[in-house]
Amino acid sequence: MSSAILDPKLAPTFREAVLPVLRNPMLRKNVAHATQVIQNKRAKLVAEKTDWQELRGAASAIRTHVLENLGAYLEQFEERCTAAGGVVHWAADADEARAIILDLLRQENATEAIKIKTMTSAEIQLNPFLEAAGVTVHETDLAEIILQLGKEEPSHIVVPALHINRSQVREIFSRTMHLKDLSDDPKELTGAARHYLREKFLRVPTAISGANFLIAETGSVAVVESEGNGRMCLTLPETMITIVGIEKVLPRFQDLEVMLQVLARSATGERMNPYTSLWTGVTPGDGPQRFHVVLLDNERTSILARPKERQTLKCIRCAACMNHCPVYRQTGGHAYGSCYPGPIGAILTPQLMLMHHAESLPFASSLCGACFEVCPVKIDIPAVLLDLRADVVNIERKQAKRAFDLMYIGLRVANTLFARPWIFHATQWFGRIGLSVFTGKDGWIKWLPSLGGRWTENRDLRGLPEQTFHDWWAARAKEAK
Amino acid sequence: MNAAIDARQRESRQRIFDRIGTATRSVAKALEQRAEAYAALPRTYVRKGQKNTESKLELLVERLREYDAEVVECTEIGLSTAIAAQLAASGKRVFVAPAGLPNEWLASGFVWKLDRGLASAEIELVEGVVTASSCAIADSGTIVLHHSATEGRRVITLLPDWHLCILRASQVVETLPEYFDRFGKQPALVTWISGPSATADIEMTRIKGVHGPRFLHVILVRDDVRV
Repeated sequence: MSSAILDPKLAPTFREAVLPVLRNPMLRKNVAHATQVIQNKRAKLVAEKTDWQELRGAASAIRTHVLENLGAYLEQFEERCTAAGGVVHWAADADEARAIILDLLRQENATEAIKIKTMTSAEIQLNPFLEAAGVTVHETDLAEIILQLGKEEPSHIVVPALHINRSQVREIFSRTMHLKDLSDDPKELTGAARHYLREKFLRVPTAISGANFLIAETGSVAVVESEGNGRMCLTLPETMITIVGIEKVLPRFQDLEVMLQVLARSATGERMNPYTSLWTGVTPGDGPQRFHVVLLDNERTSILARPKERQTLKCIRCAACMNHCPVYRQTGGHAYGSCYPGPIGAILTPQLMLMHHAESLPFASSLCGACFEVCPVKIDIPAVLLDLRADVVNIERKQAKRAFDLMYIGLRVANTLFARPWIFHATQWFGRIGLSVFTGKDGWIKWLPSLGGRWTENRDLRGLPEQTFHDWWAARAKEAK
Repeated sequence: MNAAIDARQRESRQRIFDRIGTATRSVAKALEQRAEAYAALPRTYVRKGQKNTESKLELLVERLREYDAEVVECTEIGLSTAIAAQLAASGKRVFVAPAGLPNEWLASGFVWKLDRGLASAEIELVEGVVTASSCAIADSGTIVLHHSATEGRRVITLLPDWHLCILRASQVVETLPEYFDRFGKQPALVTWISGPSATADIEMTRIKGVHGPRFLHVILVRDDVRV
């Protein structure tokens, strides 16, 4: 699989990308299993929390407040982090962020770096860039190693390798780690990864991380994880480079009392994830003595400028929306053509990249609203999807092609037809006669020629009834007389 | 730093703040109003737990055991003996300890490496670690380290495979908000530990012990009970 599939500039549209997935029963089974397990675990733990809706309300309000006052909180974070010995860098876009990170690595004479899973680095496609510049990057999250060694692409933002099953992991590990007798027992596979990475943790002096939260009042950074690979990267190296989106800031330390409660439950269905680390600049004698934070804009300020879309930036990357999405659960993540899949990806990707690179994504949803219902920070994803759909249509209707596009011709015809009752009735009459040829004895149409086939290739169509509502209404009035 | 990149960054910083300023012009608040708006944010979730001490501690122990952590209780007077018993039962011999750990906790018959800036390679060779802790949260079975002189640097509770953590009953709170109420001033370093390192990355099967200590033992000191 080439990395182009997750580059929105090069990826095929959702409609095209989804076909190979739907024809891959193993992948669908793996995705369905994993999302079902997380759904059940989350449901159980959310149900035991009597104040869940209050926590969601608070989490949503805190994030909204931050976004409305983002400038002030970022300035405060910068000041406090700098005072604590950190160095704050600003990157307007992906290009700048990559250049800053490479420059920092060059100052360290680093030829290798260990890395904690970070969505932001995937967003700016950091790994291929660093590899091309001669820096070997070692992913350290178990799922990320599976993907890196297997040359696979992530398909989920919390469990990126959920589309790969144990026997596939066994194949990847035994091939790349040269372990002939490896079994497909997850315990043994995890042990192999532990052994493989241990040496790298102790040897490589430079690390790259993301961050879940920045604390404005103290300039601290928090990372939430399960495996301990994060703690290794945050503790053992001499230099730490953290790349993080500008929206990730929280006003106060105490705000974590809300965020940590909703994040773990939503993400992995745990009361609390095994490890959460918080550090403040540089602590003499403990951990990296050189610490850099790269704050990334990359179109986030454009999202911030649109009042209805602004809520997209409240996201804390828990992935509950994709675990509960009936579309994602069928397709997995690759079809979304971005490192951010699922409902949040369908609204985030088109806004982070130019719309025309991802114009099919706002339509990759049935608008059922499950994502909104489970979102711990109450992002109304369906509302944003609808607004982005309007954007796509607004772009299209200005294009010359719409004069010849069948959908637009159809809509113009419908416009004429619905505005004039006598044409409408005549069309119904002709339609009933025309469609009766295709209508079966059970009243269903199973096959239609030409454009109509776009409907019947996926589902049956109810035939037109013998009597329309208008006819029935008229007949009823006559009877009453 | 490369001068060109440095100059570009300063420009970018200004541009980002300008764009944020424009984007939030109608909603951003000045300092005082911002503080008021922050104070007025809805916080109607549960702050204080309802349990009495005994059931709070019971809940903590239950949660820790769910994480496969081993928990034993002892009195303040019996602590040194309890530590020695845990160490003996571990079958391990070489332990690292924070430099500030009380002397009487360092049971005899074992090799102790006191951490006064030990190299990572040395810590990697020890078999276990003994530390104090700052707090525990019963609701989620979370142990909190602030990495003080008795809790040690972060690395010593990370590399060894076996961690014995001493926790006092008076340090246990029921809910996460209670923890934040207790520590209003944020320490520079905090680690929240909820059970040993784990992963579910392969088919959502939970595997204990990826990189951090695989074995977590807790001694709960009943300093709330008079003997």
